Amino acid sequence: MIAFGILAIVALIGGIGVIVARQPVHSALFLIVNIVALAIFYIILSAEFLAAAQVIVYAGAIMVLFLFVVTLLTAGKDDEEAGEELSGQRITAGVLAILAGGGLAVVGVLYPSQRIQLGLPQNFGNLRGMGDVLWGPDFVYLAAVALMLLTAAVGIMVLNRPPRKKADPEARLKERES
Amino acid sequence: MMLLQVVLLVIKIVLLIAILMGGFAYTMLLERRLLGFFQLRLGPNRVGPGGFLQPIADGLKMVLKEDLMPDGADRFVYRLAPVIALFTALSVDAVIPFGAAIHIFGLTVYLDIANPSIGLLIAFAFSSLGVYGLVLGGWASQNKYSLLGGIRASAQIISYELAMGLAVMGVIMTTGTANLYKIVLYQQHHGWLWLPQIGAFIIYFITGIAETNRTPFDLPEAESELVAGYHTEYSGMRFASYYIAEYINMITVSGIAVTLFFGGWLGPWLPPIIWFFIKVAIFLFVFIWIRATLPRFRYDRLMNFGWKFLLPAALIYFLGTAVFVSGVL
Repeated sequence: MIAFGILAIVALIGGIGVIVARQPVHSALFLIVNIVALAIFYIILSAEFLAAAQVIVYAGAIMVLFLFVVTLLTAGKDDEEAGEELSGQRITAGVLAILAGGGLAVVGVLYPSQRIQLGLPQNFGNLRGMGDVLWGPDFVYLAAVALMLLTAAVGIMVLNRPPRKKADPEARLKERES
Repeated sequence: MMLLQVVLLVIKIVLLIAILMGGFAYTMLLERRLLGFFQLRLGPNRVGPGGFLQPIADGLKMVLKEDLMPDGADRFVYRLAPVIALFTALSVDAVIPFGAAIHIFGLTVYLDIANPSIGLLIAFAFSSLGVYGLVLGGWASQNKYSLLGGIRASAQIISYELAMGLAVMGVIMTTGTANLYKIVLYQQHHGWLWLPQIGAFIIYFITGIAETNRTPFDLPEAESELVAGYHTEYSGMRFASYYIAEYINMITVSGIAVTLFFGGWLGPWLPPIIWFFIKVAIFLFVFIWIRATLPRFRYDRLMNFGWKFLLPAALIYFLGTAVFVSGVL
């Protein structure tokens, strides 16, 4: 319980830090803190495979790509905040946040939840458990998601392919002259 | 009993860090002496017999050096980055079994700090965090060469991590476990895995060199293009942290290669732990040998090699192993 409390605070600090930090790189760092805290949550639930997967996939791969882009785009550290491009964003965001929070609160009061099921299914989140879920009844969904992601990746490569080079050197020469 | 376990754990952690630090110091000396040998010169041989005390002299120099920080640096991240590099490098070794379990005073002592059922994946999880040390160090220095080094590091390590993971999967499928201790026990009964997994082993070793940023994959710190890459601005102990992390990563990659493909601590006559260190030492020698022999990759060739050759090759070998293990053939 103490561990849960500490981790919850760390995860919250990470989450809030992401939106409060001025530097994009700092935001990314806070997000990593949040991700690692979640991984430790999984370990507390003895879901060690989920924890390892969380760190390898999110902290080890996705966030590295985030940082790659962020460091490339914000190479010069600029402490001054850029002016907002769209006016009134803060007010709109605040109003929407209040509406969403209020809505959730109303739903929570109207439909008091059933007690959350205590105890975890067998093999929860370890290698065998995850394997049973992914390769058992849910295999079709897994395959569908995999196909969808592959299609997206191929699509991006097709859309971003460099213009085809002209094979004929004379035509290229003419083009350069004109 | 509980107290005894805790004391034992603390002793093991302290021992592991001491071994790794000692390993770092003498791997570095070995590298400098061997590079000297390869290049027909002597290398450091003045401090102590045969240069044996050179690492201590280097350590003292590093501690006494001024700790510089660039004017425009992001102070917090600049200080954090080497710590991340060193911490992740050290923690990976916590799951590597250095020898068979020992029985003393009625206690069974495992020669690893933790023995989780998915030890291999835990090792990958920690080592995948190591790249932050390089990227953040490069960014926080606010120097264009450092930044380029950091960006190169992130692209390179992400690219080669995929092939590395696929190469290791073959071992997991063959042995049916991701626990490093059990993988070694499997090899005790079924023979070492390097021969049936020869393709996976070669891919693992190549990607291992790339993951540790060693020549010919040392583009993040290519001195002829980027001064010193991501650690250009670092000095003193912070620079030393990066250096230590690089060498410990080398030891870790060797240790995992030995555990997965060369039977870990198994071997006749000598005590298990000695066998483990002998095998790791052989790997470290090969690392140094390769550095002395091969020139650096060009950047586009590096990316092509990783994505267009290593990854498909690893995938094909992985599928082949899957067919074999499942018993279709």
